[in-house]
Order: sequence, then structure tokens, then C-alpha cells
Amino acid sequence: MTHLRHAPLSRRAWLRHTSAGFGGLALNGLLQAATSPLALRAPMLRPRAKRVIFLFMAGGPSQMDLFDPKPIIQKKHGQSVDAPLPEQHRHESTEKLLALGTDIPVRPRGQSGLTISDLLPHTAAIADELCLLRAVHADNNQHGPAALQIHTGAIAEARPSIGSWISYGLGTENQSLPAFLTIHPGIDTRNYAASFLPAAHQGTPVVLPAKESDPAIDFLSDPSTDAASQRRRYDFIQRMNRRLVDRDSGDARLEGMIHSLETAFRMQAAAPELVDLSKETEATKKLYGIGGKETDKNGRACLLARRLSEAGVRFVQVTMGGWDHHGDIRGGLPKACAATDQPCAGLIRDLQSRGLLEDTLVVWSGEFGRTPWSQDLSGTAPIEKHGREHQPESFCTWMAGGGVKGGLMHGETDEFGFRPVSGKVHLHDLHATILHILGLDHEQLTWRHQGRDFRLTDVYGEVVREILA
Amino acid sequence: MPSFLPHPLPCHRTLRLLLLGKVFCIAAAVHGSAADAFFRDQVEPILRQRCYECHSHAGKIKGGLVLDSRSGWEKGGDSGPAVIPGAAEKSPLIEAVRYANPDMEMPPKAKLPAAEIVILEQWVARGAPDPREAAAVAAKPGIDIEAGRQHWAYQPVRDSAPPAVRDAAWPLNDVDAFLLAKLEAEGIAPVAEADPHTWLRRVTFDLTGLPPTEEEIAAFLADRSARAHERVVDRLLASRAYAERWARHWLDLVGYAEQIGTEGKIFAEHAWRYRDYLVESYHADKPYDRFVREQVAGDLLPASSPEQRREQLIATGFIVLGDVDINAIDKLKMEHDFIDGQVNKVGAVFLGMTLGCVRCHDHKFDAIGQQDYYALAGMFRSTKTTFKTRHGIWSNVHRVDLPELEADRVLGAKHEQTLAAWRKERAKLESESKAPAGKAGADNKKRLDELNAKIKDLGLRIAHGEYFHPGKPQALAVEDVEQPADMRLTIRGNPYALGDPIPRGLVRVAMWDAQPEIPAGQSGRRQLADWIADTRNPLTARVAVNRVWQKLFGEGLVRSVDYFGTRGDTPTHPELLDHLAHRFMGEGWSQKKLIRNLALSRAYRLSSGEAPADSGEPAGSSIHPSLSAALPESAGGSSSDPENKLLWRMNRQRLDAESIRDAMLVASGRLAAPAGGPGLPLEFPENVSGLPLTEKSNHPQFAIKKERESQAYERTVYLPVVRTGTQPGTARLRDVFDFPQPAQITGKRNETTVPTQSLYLLNADLIRQRAADLAGELLKGGDSDEVRVGRLWLRVLNRPETDSERAEALAFLAEARATGDDLAAWTELARALFATNEFLLRF
Repeated sequence: MTHLRHAPLSRRAWLRHTSAGFGGLALNGLLQAATSPLALRAPMLRPRAKRVIFLFMAGGPSQMDLFDPKPIIQKKHGQSVDAPLPEQHRHESTEKLLALGTDIPVRPRGQSGLTISDLLPHTAAIADELCLLRAVHADNNQHGPAALQIHTGAIAEARPSIGSWISYGLGTENQSLPAFLTIHPGIDTRNYAASFLPAAHQGTPVVLPAKESDPAIDFLSDPSTDAASQRRRYDFIQRMNRRLVDRDSGDARLEGMIHSLETAFRMQAAAPELVDLSKETEATKKLYGIGGKETDKNGRACLLARRLSEAGVRFVQVTMGGWDHHGDIRGGLPKACAATDQPCAGLIRDLQSRGLLEDTLVVWSGEFGRTPWSQDLSGTAPIEKHGREHQPESFCTWMAGGGVKGGLMHGETDEFGFRPVSGKVHLHDLHATILHILGLDHEQLTWRHQGRDFRLTDVYGEVVREILA
Repeated sequence: MPSFLPHPLPCHRTLRLLLLGKVFCIAAAVHGSAADAFFRDQVEPILRQRCYECHSHAGKIKGGLVLDSRSGWEKGGDSGPAVIPGAAEKSPLIEAVRYANPDMEMPPKAKLPAAEIVILEQWVARGAPDPREAAAVAAKPGIDIEAGRQHWAYQPVRDSAPPAVRDAAWPLNDVDAFLLAKLEAEGIAPVAEADPHTWLRRVTFDLTGLPPTEEEIAAFLADRSARAHERVVDRLLASRAYAERWARHWLDLVGYAEQIGTEGKIFAEHAWRYRDYLVESYHADKPYDRFVREQVAGDLLPASSPEQRREQLIATGFIVLGDVDINAIDKLKMEHDFIDGQVNKVGAVFLGMTLGCVRCHDHKFDAIGQQDYYALAGMFRSTKTTFKTRHGIWSNVHRVDLPELEADRVLGAKHEQTLAAWRKERAKLESESKAPAGKAGADNKKRLDELNAKIKDLGLRIAHGEYFHPGKPQALAVEDVEQPADMRLTIRGNPYALGDPIPRGLVRVAMWDAQPEIPAGQSGRRQLADWIADTRNPLTARVAVNRVWQKLFGEGLVRSVDYFGTRGDTPTHPELLDHLAHRFMGEGWSQKKLIRNLALSRAYRLSSGEAPADSGEPAGSSIHPSLSAALPESAGGSSSDPENKLLWRMNRQRLDAESIRDAMLVASGRLAAPAGGPGLPLEFPENVSGLPLTEKSNHPQFAIKKERESQAYERTVYLPVVRTGTQPGTARLRDVFDFPQPAQITGKRNETTVPTQSLYLLNADLIRQRAADLAGELLKGGDSDEVRVGRLWLRVLNRPETDSERAEALAFLAEARATGDDLAAWTELARALFATNEFLLRF
């Protein structure tokens, strides 16, 4: 068993050796860290990055249209192809296997020649920073289970999210904030759940407020009371709590609860400031496309992700939807690209210019990709109005920043862009690699639950060493 | 990279060679030095370079396959021999390197160069000459059931008499004798009893999930008789609140939610019947063996009345109400996943067995083989649990028609009348809309638009009323399929890679008899139920008793409450566990009698503090002298048993989400009378989308836009549980305080401490509302502030306030009144108390 151990420092032991008491303690992050499950822990291996920003493209971007075009599909546009799709995955709207070509060019970019669509001009401009994985695969072709898999490794069971595992493995650098924040998460809370890990590691959802008065984090403020009243109440509560602790010779949980209330009280002050993007320069905002009609929401989310990373949050996720193009992909895909291209590329550039990219790992991925052949739900639409069905068999993911080789294309798919033929990276491998980059051995990072030592990668996963810088 | 079947399922794998011992013919191999040289020069380097990393004794042995010896590929891995000499086309190794089978592509990361594939093909075609010496392969033995039975949990339950103790005055009952004997042996003195307020709060929360009221506190303090404690416990056990509390504990094991699966928001519109079944069962103290039988095989049990038939059908909701993926294209895999959930649930809930991993391989630690798994799985394969809906690729959970009762007929008739009236109204409006226009163009258009809007609205209400018809009672439940059959073992859980058929049956390691006869045409669930509910089953009573113990004492006698296997915790008090299990069965499997016995023990009265009795607790200090003083050789347990395994004191517990919300309702006097019935307010058409159904319509879904007014004041157990998104309405509090994800089997909930909880305590509107209700209650009548402070403490902390607390409270009120009115000031004070750790914990 390799449970990580927390420093056995009792908060009370510290208290006995300081004259400051609780008042002094309230602002002393180091001491708080001593009893927190989020206390900093040393990595197991040499870390190549300290933190992760996961840009989750919910819905399944079409890798064929964006990164991995196939001549045979272009050539046979509108005609049936002889693709090896297993019987149990065929259904009415896709069974004709009509090749659906790409109408917008995908070209080599930069020094490295990474192939990227004209639909992603900002991403194309940073091609040499990206490590493009072109043969990623997963196990389920439905959104719910597939999204669960990219977050937790499991398809059906509720397991800890990757952000929770990393929080558990490394702790956090900022004790006024949770270690794992997820911006604009989807409705399935299991995707950022700590599951059987201690709940301190669960993702805290953040929703950028539409209105100034709305809190970005649940229960962060109470519009019905003023600060002075809240302070009075807080002091009264903590006085009661302290008296209770003093009555005992020391109860770690009661101490932890006092600490937690302190953190929450501080978060009320720290978090709104972090979420407030108004202090950023115009140039920075422009970089992310903030103010742009399509890009504003994701731009602000990505900028917030940078601010949170900068503040020491270990794992930040930004979810961007709009990729589920079952029909009229030629109409829908440009919109999804427009909404995400500049924000994501702007994030990379901003991290780079602040010197943060070298120890921040950015991962861009959907839960799966889309079929090279078309899908027609109506059964009557012309090929130009067709969409694409889900495809977990292969899809593209990119990474950038700490620990990965920029300007590298890794992996190839077959002539249809259906199955990987080389450089195959399963989601478990991706997870193992992310942990490895952070200095965590995916086989050693375990938690004992119901008699078994669980891992993020279950019993699978190989670090993709070829992509490590 | 794993086996020949990569990533079939997220499950542990062993290296067991399924086909170990199977004999197969080896084609006459080409002998001689030329063949050997071919192997050494051309084939072996490829194997070494490309395969050994994952398939050799020096590297990993993935999929059970080694290629570093001839015997390695002869035996092969999980899917049999890797090479058939002379038959390249039949050799899995060749198929794998050709990437001909997407589930078996080797090496996994990149296909071999064509030239290397050719060499391997030639090698096999030439009879696979392989001169290598067989490496010493230690064949991994199969599971040994007899040896496995030696594990304590599979041994028969053996009663033993309560042991003698030195301090004969301490034990109040048999439980205490067992506990004290151990403490005395270890030289640890138990702490003193908790004060009466603490005990009353503890027992009231533990048994009912609610706090004691002011009146109940007064009554207990006034009762000077020796039976005061008994009277409290009996009152609590008789209450409906007890049943509501313990039904919720059981729901934690079931994965209960009013939503089916997690794709979309598909309503489990009949799930509540199972929840109400649990409440009724606990209220009636249904014998646990019967309770088990009904849930596993209620549909197969005889019934003497329509009511009983109904109850038993509803009980089988246990089998289908977990988390399931119903939006799957691959229905075979979906079915296997379903069955897996069911086997796993039956194993963990009733037997403390982990069976999930046995889907793919024999258990690594317990003597449970794939054979055992598929013997059980065949029973669920023979049970109707899902059906394909008319909506796209959706399936849904099986439902059965319940025998109609008079109440249904009345409800149904009334509903029909309403529907008929709506239909009539619609017909009338429709004919009006077709009537020739009496007015000029613009006016007529307006008239028609209004009419059509009304028609559309009526149409929606009619479609909604037809879809959710209260007169046709159904339950999410199971029944046997028409042709029950055995299931075939699968290789690594892959439903397309089948092994031998496995006769349906029971888990061998916990059997005392031969496998039961399963009558033709039956699934075998009845036999399964009988086996679980048998007094000879070594696990059932132990697991059940331990679950109850954990709820009362904070930790189980076996701490891993859902897992009694070899890697679980061993019992801290094995004789006590067996004694209780034996007594439980002897007393007719009565859970109330069991709880009563535990709650009336001395151990249950102990303080949760570490301090000995005379350390002076401020609030109502201990009334019973500590016996530790009388035992000079004994020491406190805090140093020798810091984890309190020997129970020298009571464990503290954080109130669960339900208790926090419900306690605020009791304290503020707003708790609604016991409810029940549907949790989802589907009677409001605005909460349902996708109706009326059309040819191509997707599955209707729910979104709770409107709640019943009463729901804010009902006990939390009655509020709807959803699987995705935040819990609706005031049930939101569940998300914050460790409500288990309804996908999991959660015998013991987490008790975490996270800033989100603290933010909730500081800022949540729900707490403010309950505090305002409570303040309003206190302000009724002309009590003085001092009296009101006393009542506030009794209602929230269930104890009298101390002098200094009173002074602080009065000072707080004075300050708060400077900026607000009386109600606002008292609300602030009540809000503060609801956020204290003393309120949140039961001591």
C-alpha cells in the first residue's frame, strides 16, 4: 500500500509552541498547511510541470476536419467507403459510410509542419508549441461515459477525477483556494468528483458571473447580510468552536473544521479578486478575444484559468462545448472553432510571455473524436449538410508547455482516420503521462478503497515517453 | 500493453492462464539446426525487441502471456495458445501483429514493419521451430475453495457466552461484557458516561436522524426511573422517523435515485415506491431474512393478497435501481454491465463480498472464481431488467404492472374524468377554430391565435396526463425472462469473447451444502435469496449486524463494512460480532431488537471525549462516576488505543446531510408531517420536456423548474435524488455534506471537512431561512431574552446554555439590534448556532 502520508503535525502542537494562538494562526499559511489534506507534498519523480490546465472540448471535436485529414476521404467525398466499422457500432444514420470530405483546408504550419485547419488560425500560429497526439483512443462512444473516462479513467463507476488525484498527490500551493477548480463544468458532477478520495480533493466549480453581483463560486457570498454582521457571526461561531476544542485534549477533526471555516472566510475575500478580470490590461484581454462576440465567454474563462494557475491552483479545467456536430458539421464546426481558437491560443501565448508555460502543462481534448464518414439523422439531407457520429476509436489531442515536446506530431491513424496504426495513446496512457509530467508515478499513486488499491489508470496505462521533452 | 484483448473493462486483471492444462496438438515441428538458426537469427530478435517488454519473465507478463519460451506461447495467455504451429491464419499472434482484429493489435503502439510480420508468418507456417529451453514457469494455481474457507468470515457463526469481567457492575448487558473484557485485558479504562443531554441527543439522532425537542428533553430529565433510557429508546423505535432514517441508510447501498442513468435527465418515475417500501418495512420491523428475500426474489415468492404481491414486486427494485447506462448502442455490452452492477450489489450489500473484479478474472485475494461470478450472473441474465424503448438507441429499466388496489381505481377514475373534460374542451375549441370567420381579417387572426394557443396548451396537459397516469400503478422491478439460461464465462469481461457456459449457482466459498437445484424455467434468484437469508449463511447476519453497529458506534466491528474479504479489516471483537449475529437470527432477525440492545448498553452511553470523568466538562458534566478511578492499574485509552478500536469511548460522528437539514426543520418547528409518494414533482407539466410524443421523439426528460410547496419542509429522505447536476431545491445541501454519489454502494459515508461546507454554513440562504423561522418561534409570546436564549440552545444544541454563553449571546443580540430589528438579530444568532461544530456533530 502506498497511501501518501500527511505530515503528522498537530495543529494543536503548533499552538502550544506559539504564543500567537488562533488569531496569529489565521494568516499563517504554513501552519494551516500542516493539518490540511491539501498540504504540499513532494513529487515522487522529477517533475516537468507543476500544474495543469485542461481545456476540455465537450462534445467531441472532429479530428479529421481539424488536424488529421485523409486523402481517401477527400477523394471519395459523398461515396461509400469500405471502413472496418464493427457491426455493433452501426446504426441507421451512419450505415452508408459515406465519406465526408473537409471543405476547409488543413495545412502544415510553422517550422514543425503540424497539420492544422484554417478554421483554427490562432492555434495554427502557435503550432510549434504544440505536441499533437493524433492516435488517441477511448472505450465508449456515448458522451456521458466517454466524458467520465477522460476525467476519471472509468466509464461507468464513479471514480476520482484526474484533478482530484493530482490534488491528492501534490497538495496545493495556495491554502486560500481549493487545489482543483473547474470553470464552466458540465452537468455531470462525477467528472470533477473526489469519489472515494477525501472530499478536499474534489473540484470546485466556478461559473463566471453574468452579473457582477453573482458569485463565481457557490455560496461565496451572502447578499442578504453585510460584512460587519457576517464578521460578528463568524467570531461568535469560532468562539463557540474554540471553546469546544479546549474542552477536549484535542480533536483533530474539530481543529480541521475550525481551519476550514477560516479558509472559507478568507476565500470570500481572495476569490472575488481573482475572478475579477477588470485589472487585466486591454492587450491581455484582446489576446484572449475578450469582448469578441464569439470568443468573450471562453476568453474570460481561459484568462481566469491563467489567473488561478498563477495563484497556485494545481489543476484548473475549462470546459468549452459546442462540438457535437451530428448534422451540418460544415455549418457548426466553424462556430465552435471561432469560439475556442483564440481563447485557447491566447492562453498559451499569455502563459508563455509570463514565463508560466514552462512549468504549466496545457491539455486540449474532447472525450472522443468524430467519424470520417458522415451521419445523416434525417435520412434525406444532401451530403454537404451531413454531420459526423462519435468516434472513440481515434481522435486528436494536443498538449503544450511543461514537459512535452513542442512541434511534434505523434501517432498515425489508418487510411480512413478510423483506427490508430502507430503512436497509439489510450486515455489511460494520457493520464499516466500527465501524472508522470507532474512527477507522479501512476502505478504508485493509489488509494485503498474496499480492500483494493485504486489508481487513476486502474491496471492500465503506459507513459508516452516519446513526447516528453 | 496488456493482453490480446486490450482494455475490455476497467477491472483488475490477473495473470491466470485460463486454459492452463488444456491439451492441444502440436504440429510436427521442423527440426534441425537450419530451423533453429532461422529462429535464433530472425524470429527471436523480433520477439525480444518487440514483445519481451510486456511478455516475458524478465519484463511484464501481460495478459498471462510469455513469449520467452516455447511453453509460453504454447500455453498462451488468457485467450489460449498464441501460436498454432503450421497454421499462421489460426494463430492469434499472427492476427495480432497483422492488426487484423481491432481488439487485439500488437505491439499496441505501432504496427510492426511489414518485413518483420512476414518473418513471423513464415516461422509459424514452418511449424514454429523454437529450440529455447522452457523457462522455469511457476504455474499459478487455480483458486483453492477449501483454503479460502478458512478465512474468518466464511466460517460458521459461533455463539459464545458473554465473558466474565472483573468489574461486574459496569456491564449493563451482553454487549458491555464483551467490550469490557477486552478493555480489561488491555488495561484500558473506559471513560465516564456522557451527560444525559448528550446521550439523548445521540440516541435521538442515531435512531431517527432528528434532534430531541424541548419537550422530549424535559421528559427524559424528569424521568427518574431506572427505565428512563428504555422508554426513550422504545419511543424512538416506534416512531416513523426511525423508519425514515434507516430506510435512507439502506438507500445508500442501492444507488437509489429518481433519475435513470446519467445521460440526459430520464425520470425514474416509480422509484419512490421502493423508497416507501423501505420505510414501511423498517417501520414494521420486517424480519431481515424476509427483507432480503423480498428484494432479491420478491417476484418469485408466494403472496396471500394483492397488497403483499405488490409489496414483494416493489422490493425487487433493489436489483434495478442502481446507476446504469441506458443510452448505449452496444446492447450486449450494456446488458453485461447491468448484470455486473447487480452481481456486485448483491455481493457487497448482503455478503460483504467484492465480486465486481471477478467479472474479468478470478479474485486476487479471495477464493472467488470467475465460475462463481458467472454462476450468479446467469441468474440476472435470466431476469428482465431492461427493455429497448421506442426512442432511438435508448433502453430503460424494466417495469412491472402492480396489482391495482381500490385507491388506484379511485385515483384513476378521477384522473380519467379530468382527462375527459380536457379532451372535450379541446374538441370544442377545435371546432370553434374551424368555424367560419365571423369577423374581419386581423381580428379573426387574433381570435384564431388565441384559440390555437389554448388548444396547444390543452394538448400538452392531455399528453402529460396520459403519460403519467396515476391509475396504472407500476414499479421499477424485475421478473424472470421466459427462457432462463446459464451464462457463458467471458474472457476478461469482454462480452464478445466467450468461454465455457457456467451452470447457475451460488458462491462456493460461502456454501455449506451442494449447489441448489434451479427448477426449469426459473432464474435461480429464489435459490439465491434462500441461500443469503439462511441462518447457516456465514456472512448475512454478520454483515447486517455490523452495518447497524457502525451506524450507532461510528465504526463497524469490522471497519470495512462493505467488504469482509481477506483484504478487509478483521473484526475488533470477533466473539461479540458472532454473538450479536447469533442473537439477531435467534430473535427473528429483528433489527429493532438489535438496535435496542446496542442503544441500551453502557458502551453506548460513554462520553466521546478522551478526558476522564473528573476533568470538568462545562456543559452538564458527567453524572455517573467513572469506573476508571476504581481500577488503578488501568490507564486511559488515548495513548494505547488512539483509534478507539476497543471502544473505551464513544466515537463522534458528523451529522449527515439529511440530519443537518432535518434538524434545522425540527429546531424551527417547521418539519412537515411524514410524507412519501413521488419525489419528482412530475405532476407539473413544466417539469417535463419531450411531450407529446411523436414518431421520432427522443426520450422525455425532466427538469425541476417548479417544486411542491411542501417539499421545502419535508424530511430530506423524501426529496428527489438526481444523478447529474446539483440536487434540486433545498436538497442542494446534500451536495455539500457528503451525500454519496448514487452510483456507489456506500455502507459508510465520508465525513469530510471542506471549505465549501464552511461557505455554505456562512452564506447559504437555506440556513438563513431556517434561522429566521426559528427566531420567529422564539419571539412568539412574551419570554425574556434570557429565557429565549435558553430555548434556542435547547432547540439547536439540545442542552442548556452556560452562563458565559448566555452573556455572549445577549451581547451579540445587543450589537445586532443596533443595525436591525429583533427578528433580524435573533435570526443572526440562530444562524450562528446552526454553523457551530457542536451543532454539526453528534457527540
